[in-house]
Amino acid sequence: MLSYAPDESLAHRLDPRTKLLVQFAFVAAAFAHETPQGLLALSAVAAVLLASAGLSPLSALREFRYLLPFLLAGPLVSALTLGPPWVVVADAREPALASYRALLVLFVTAAYVRSTPVRDTRAAIQRTVPGKLGQFLGMGISLVFRFFPLLLADLRRTREAMAARLGDERPVTERIQRTAIAGLNRAFGRADRLSLALRARCFAWNPTLPALRFGRLDWLGFAVAAVLALWSVL
Amino acid sequence: MATSTDGVELVGDETAKNIARAALFAALMGAFGFVSFPNPVSPAPVTLQVLGVFLAGIMLGPVWGAASMVLYLAAGAAGVPVFAGGGAGFGSLLADPTLGYLWSYPVAAALIGAVVHRGVSLRDYRAASTPLLVGAMVAGTVVIYAFGMAGLMLTLGYGIAEAFAVGAAAFLPAEALKIAAAVGIVRSDAVAAA
Amino acid sequence: MIRVRNLTHRYGDTVAVDDVSLTVDDGEFLLVVGANGSGKSTLVRHFNGLLDPDSGEVSVDGTRVQDDFVAARVAVGMVFQDPRDQLVSATVGADVAFGPENLGLSRTEIDRRVDAALSAVNLEEKENDRVTDLSGGERERVAIAGALAMEPTHLVLDEPFTGLDEPARRSVLDRLRSLHADGTSVVVVTHDLRDVLSLADRVVAMADGRIVVVDDDADSTSARESLSNLDVRLPTEPRPPADDPC
Repeated sequence: MLSYAPDESLAHRLDPRTKLLVQFAFVAAAFAHETPQGLLALSAVAAVLLASAGLSPLSALREFRYLLPFLLAGPLVSALTLGPPWVVVADAREPALASYRALLVLFVTAAYVRSTPVRDTRAAIQRTVPGKLGQFLGMGISLVFRFFPLLLADLRRTREAMAARLGDERPVTERIQRTAIAGLNRAFGRADRLSLALRARCFAWNPTLPALRFGRLDWLGFAVAAVLALWSVL
Repeated sequence: MATSTDGVELVGDETAKNIARAALFAALMGAFGFVSFPNPVSPAPVTLQVLGVFLAGIMLGPVWGAASMVLYLAAGAAGVPVFAGGGAGFGSLLADPTLGYLWSYPVAAALIGAVVHRGVSLRDYRAASTPLLVGAMVAGTVVIYAFGMAGLMLTLGYGIAEAFAVGAAAFLPAEALKIAAAVGIVRSDAVAAA
Repeated sequence: MIRVRNLTHRYGDTVAVDDVSLTVDDGEFLLVVGANGSGKSTLVRHFNGLLDPDSGEVSVDGTRVQDDFVAARVAVGMVFQDPRDQLVSATVGADVAFGPENLGLSRTEIDRRVDAALSAVNLEEKENDRVTDLSGGERERVAIAGALAMEPTHLVLDEPFTGLDEPARRSVLDRLRSLHADGTSVVVVTHDLRDVLSLADRVVAMADGRIVVVDDDADSTSARESLSNLDVRLPTEPRPPADDPC
């Protein structure tokens, strides 16, 4: 599972807003330069970004293994033709480049996720998106982060309890129903208790925003983002 | 009391409850992605994620159902591993081949909610007829797969036939199963929340 | 001071609180006891305006609760059953900061309050821990710290001992004793009187939405006699089986 891990790497010491800028600029550049030369240059950038977060390309690749069928199917399906010569390698060129581009962007995202705690992203969003929308997104992210493991454990317990009583013998629709109903009841029950606690603690639209501060290192990040952004419009 | 309370703009009671529900539903969506069942008609296992989209529209309605899906996407982008396969990060929304499915969730939940509640204001979804529920979910499924295929075409350069073969054909039969399950859940009185 | 005057609250046709009047003084340790469904939780949820009265009124320090929700919620901190669903952040310090942030305080003041609240519940060391890594008793104390960070004059705890084992229960009781000693008014709502009876200044028992017993000396023989008629757990009874921790 791709998640934040504490470390002292270069990327860990950057402000989340800087890292988001770099990420967006990288995506723009990758879509603007879908050529072998362009992607080669971006591979180097992606490798540097991964390294700056203390990740190796191989371990990043492992995080996205569930996507590999999609990434491989594109070029394969495109290369096949109905009738001789059956396989046209040239047809696979475009989809192969596109698959590789997707992989590069995922690498950069992996570097971000690995080096940025959820509360920092939340802070970045809350300080960037104004007003109630920003507070809704910020609080929402924080609450999902808090309650996701609890609900996952709730669902696991339900399934274990069902399996212990041979529930696996029942038709699949019924098992889906029972699992979902248990999950919904847990989620709604928790939400009602949570909303009471939120109100008791003066849940407000205009709280003190989380602290974030740009440091000297962030100038380096800005420079990288600026170069990438410039290159994507050239 | 030393604290000045003049500037505090409290979130209203109803809204606080809706935010809590939307967030918990988003978290449940993430958890649903980790629960897989064998697919009776295909080797690809069924996760409950799309069922979460259906139920968000039906139970939370078009506005808060969609809001809850937005929180799901925001939390995933911020690094909570709620996307399929434990994925996370903004890249998943920007360049991941499956981004179309992700972006479709708020739209599909809003559409399903609007059909079931026949508008923006909430009605008792238990009173909705079965054809209405099924129709809403079929429409939602069409949205999800249309967006999903468009995403594959955009990120991987697929043609429409390839996108259908890779991104829809293998998964569609299982959606019928989830629609049936969702109708069963709405019809049973086992869910305590109104 | 919390003043409740002729308060009535209905859920549909059920009268949960029936014409109740009660005053909670600053600095006092009050027990509100009664069986499940006696109306005690509903009563205290009016103390800071989490519920709206059907009739009657509640005021905190002379101001009607409905006229200033923020002031009421700052003055009356509240902790509910099952802290798991009350903690809003993934880490201890961030959770305790939630209330003060809502008040729009400066970062320095928030940090000061978080430190003070965590030290009041003996959890200074845990500020950066994840709440999922805490024990049940520690989570309960984090929830108390979250309420304390608002610097309330009254701290209300609704069934705070549910699901806690004996050491956790003692750690919570111990913190409540010291908060009370430092001048905070503590209100504990419970159907389980073990250990807590001796701490209280005063006890109020509820049945069917009404106050049926008020005793100014909670641990007196007369209080015990009147309480023994209610469906509450008195200190002499054997320990109940542990509640379902979920």
